[in-house]
Amino acid sequence: MPNPYVPMLSTIKDVVTENDVDDIKTIELVFKKEEDYKKFNYIPGQFAELSVIGKGECPIGMASSPTEEGSIKFTIKKMGTVTSTIHKSKVGDIIGIRGPLGNGWPIEEMKGKNIVIIGGGFAFSTLRSLTIYMLDEKYRKDFGEIIVIYGNRNSCEVLYEDDLYKWDKRDDINVVLTIDREEECWIREVGFVADVVKKVKPSPDNAIAIVCGPPIMIKTTIATLEELNFKDEQILNSLEMRMKCGIGKCGRCNIGNKFVCIDGPVFSLVELRKMPKEY
Amino acid sequence: MEEKILKKEDIAKLYEELSKDYNFYAPVKEKGTIAFKKVSDPSEIELTYYNTKVPPKEVIFPQIETLFEYKLKGGDIEIEEPKNLDVKNLIFGIRPCDAYSFKLLENFFGFGEFKDDLFLKRKENTTLIGIACNSPKQSCFCTSVGGHPHKKEDVDVILVDLEDKYLVESISDKGRDLVKKISWLSDASESDVKQAQELSKKAEESIKTKVNVKDIEKLLDPNFEHPIWEEISATCLGCGTCTFLCPTCTCFDVVDENDKYNNRGRRVRIWDTCQFYLYTLHTSGHNPRDSSIERCRNRIMHKFCYYPENYNLLGCVGCGRCVQLCPVNNDIRSIINKINEIEKEEKISIA
Repeated sequence: MPNPYVPMLSTIKDVVTENDVDDIKTIELVFKKEEDYKKFNYIPGQFAELSVIGKGECPIGMASSPTEEGSIKFTIKKMGTVTSTIHKSKVGDIIGIRGPLGNGWPIEEMKGKNIVIIGGGFAFSTLRSLTIYMLDEKYRKDFGEIIVIYGNRNSCEVLYEDDLYKWDKRDDINVVLTIDREEECWIREVGFVADVVKKVKPSPDNAIAIVCGPPIMIKTTIATLEELNFKDEQILNSLEMRMKCGIGKCGRCNIGNKFVCIDGPVFSLVELRKMPKEY
Repeated sequence: MEEKILKKEDIAKLYEELSKDYNFYAPVKEKGTIAFKKVSDPSEIELTYYNTKVPPKEVIFPQIETLFEYKLKGGDIEIEEPKNLDVKNLIFGIRPCDAYSFKLLENFFGFGEFKDDLFLKRKENTTLIGIACNSPKQSCFCTSVGGHPHKKEDVDVILVDLEDKYLVESISDKGRDLVKKISWLSDASESDVKQAQELSKKAEESIKTKVNVKDIEKLLDPNFEHPIWEEISATCLGCGTCTFLCPTCTCFDVVDENDKYNNRGRRVRIWDTCQFYLYTLHTSGHNPRDSSIERCRNRIMHKFCYYPENYNLLGCVGCGRCVQLCPVNNDIRSIINKINEIEKEEKISIA
């Protein structure tokens, strides 16, 4: 068994600034060793511990889909020491990666179902991974209807505009974008995510709803989904928690007897209801 | 007779022989207290001690441990893994409760998809020569949590103090090989063995505190939001002593330490504690355990609810360090007893 704390090394291939405030960037990483890339078999919804050697590590969900071969993307908000250093990094700089970690979205259980993706703000990254995955020509037939409802505070915060543009042109996915307040030139929805979900009225029949976003959005959206007759087992969440090791040893990400890093980060509402409210 | 006798005057001889093959750790006097340290002179070995303040887990799970070292070379990075994991360690004088904690630690670090190889290798390369407790302290409660002051199962060799000598019994294969190598040990007599049995019984009887931990996880789980946690945490200072000095606690932080003048550094893990606010503080400012109520609860829940639920074991060995060293006398035994009282009260109210 190799030392589980040693990262694999990668170099930055590309950096994309995602918002006008410039505090969210997507970095594209290429493993230095081909064999490391081969070992990195991930599914959407999993995460990795990114290292800036000499600064530390932080857990970030993969924003790319395994179907986008050759590199891995992470969307990172400038928050603490590690993420701020990554924000200052340039193409060619070295980033350490440990992973893939966590359970990811339950792809097998989602097959044959209609998928309702509901995301708010910056939490959309692993939902991008999932959407790209499901829209891949190899896998599109495995899923029923796909609805993406994606909300932001304002139009400057909308991530992945290139992808959204491509998805808009397809007829096998319904993309609903919303911002909190009206803006000039904004022709999509206006209003909070939960209200837009109420308006779109996704059917609970043979459906799975995936909800990711800030706590208040999750709370209101779940209430709306319940009004629309979604059952607890049809609703999935991905949780965030302070982490260090990512492999269930350092202790801090527990909620009751579960560790978010190894038992999650994806939990169904059934599981969440059984867990103590300590997250 | 399989049991042997080690005269106390021969401890130095034992050290000389074993320290050739092992890093020989034993209780020594340090800063007014007793600690397990690597011995360089056998006269340092302290044989009249109850137990050490810091548990011997620090030998195999050091307070600060290198996960890897790194060198920055131009734009490139070179990573070196720790090399000292194959060193053979011997811990002389470990108490049965602490030896049992090694089993719990091994179970935890070896559990699940990701094995902690750093710990597991150190554990594998460590031999334990335990000394049974003849006079447990008032804070000891090993007999309530599956232990015994003379418990043998978790060590390789167990010694029983018979005043001027030790009765030596090898327990594991590792222990048998070790004892075989020490050819000069004399055979024990039947009366030596009998004396040890009597001491064992006496030691067991001297532990007066009993804590009822039967099905404790089933009691704790539904009482997660019980007001009792407010009472339990009211006097807690949040110093973390109970967890830092606990032989079964495993939580750690990970930090990069840079030697910036030489373009190198190391990533280390350092003991951490769930009793600190920062331990669970999110970057966003949100903290799921933001008061001492949640943090005190987590310590008890982890040891007596989550541990049994996940591993079918209690996360406590009854060594009593947290009882003895808490600056405000928060006693884990009375906390558990209080929790047992909850059920009684509720049964009465239901009736």
